[in-house]
Amino acid sequence: MAEKTRELDEGEGGEFAEFLADVSQEIALRVESLQTPSQAAAPVKKTPVGADGGVIIEWPTIADRMIEEMR
Amino acid sequence: MSVVNYGTREITCKIVYYGPGRSGKTTNLQHVYSKLPEERKGKMVSLATETDRTLFFDFLPLDLGTISGFDTRFQLYTVPGQVYYAATRKLVLQGVDGVVFVADSQSRQMAENIESLQDLHANLAEEGFDPRSIPLVMQYNKRDLPKSEISSIEDLDETLNFRGVPHFSATAVSGGGVFETLRSISTLVLSRLSAPAAKA
Repeated sequence: MAEKTRELDEGEGGEFAEFLADVSQEIALRVESLQTPSQAAAPVKKTPVGADGGVIIEWPTIADRMIEEMR
Repeated sequence: MSVVNYGTREITCKIVYYGPGRSGKTTNLQHVYSKLPEERKGKMVSLATETDRTLFFDFLPLDLGTISGFDTRFQLYTVPGQVYYAATRKLVLQGVDGVVFVADSQSRQMAENIESLQDLHANLAEEGFDPRSIPLVMQYNKRDLPKSEISSIEDLDETLNFRGVPHFSATAVSGGGVFETLRSISTLVLSRLSAPAAKA
């Protein structure tokens, strides 16, 4: 009985610690793909400006155009 | 259930231990619980009948702490194996991320194993999961029983493991194979975090 108790004490946390290490490694491996789209390096939207520095020559999205026309 | 919540930086995985009555599902959870360091020991909820069979389910929350910036929690559940608790099994499967099928290695229990596996597939399908793709591992428990009473691993695998998922021999009552099984299903579940099917 005493031997059994000692075995349990020695094993306590050991198996769990190994499990935790494996899980941590797996999550670390995947952490890059866990980034949300907003956290990922999204391209910065810019309203294109023509060569003369003031004339907008194209409208990449309807939303851009609406915002511009509301100004 | 969300596997990963970007807003709160949490990863929560729900793992269900499924299998016929008396195959050793609760014993698996009890072993995991017994090995938890004191500071991580939450409350294992176990609802048993007067005959010591699981009535509703067992629930063991595992708080793994912050890993790579995410608070990580595993929730381990068992289902009641007895046939008449079909409704409870369905309920416990809701939002499941991975399943451990605990088969009883005793030759005379093979029919019960098959019936339980079919029940699992039917319930997964009803809950909107694809039984062919959900993370699953097989555990062939009670390997400590006399050889004359148990089926070989090959026979169990051929009969039950038609998906060819990882399988483990176990003696849950003494802890053999319990953490190997848990590690395998956890890895399978986590490996899907970046898959398109993963829910945000």
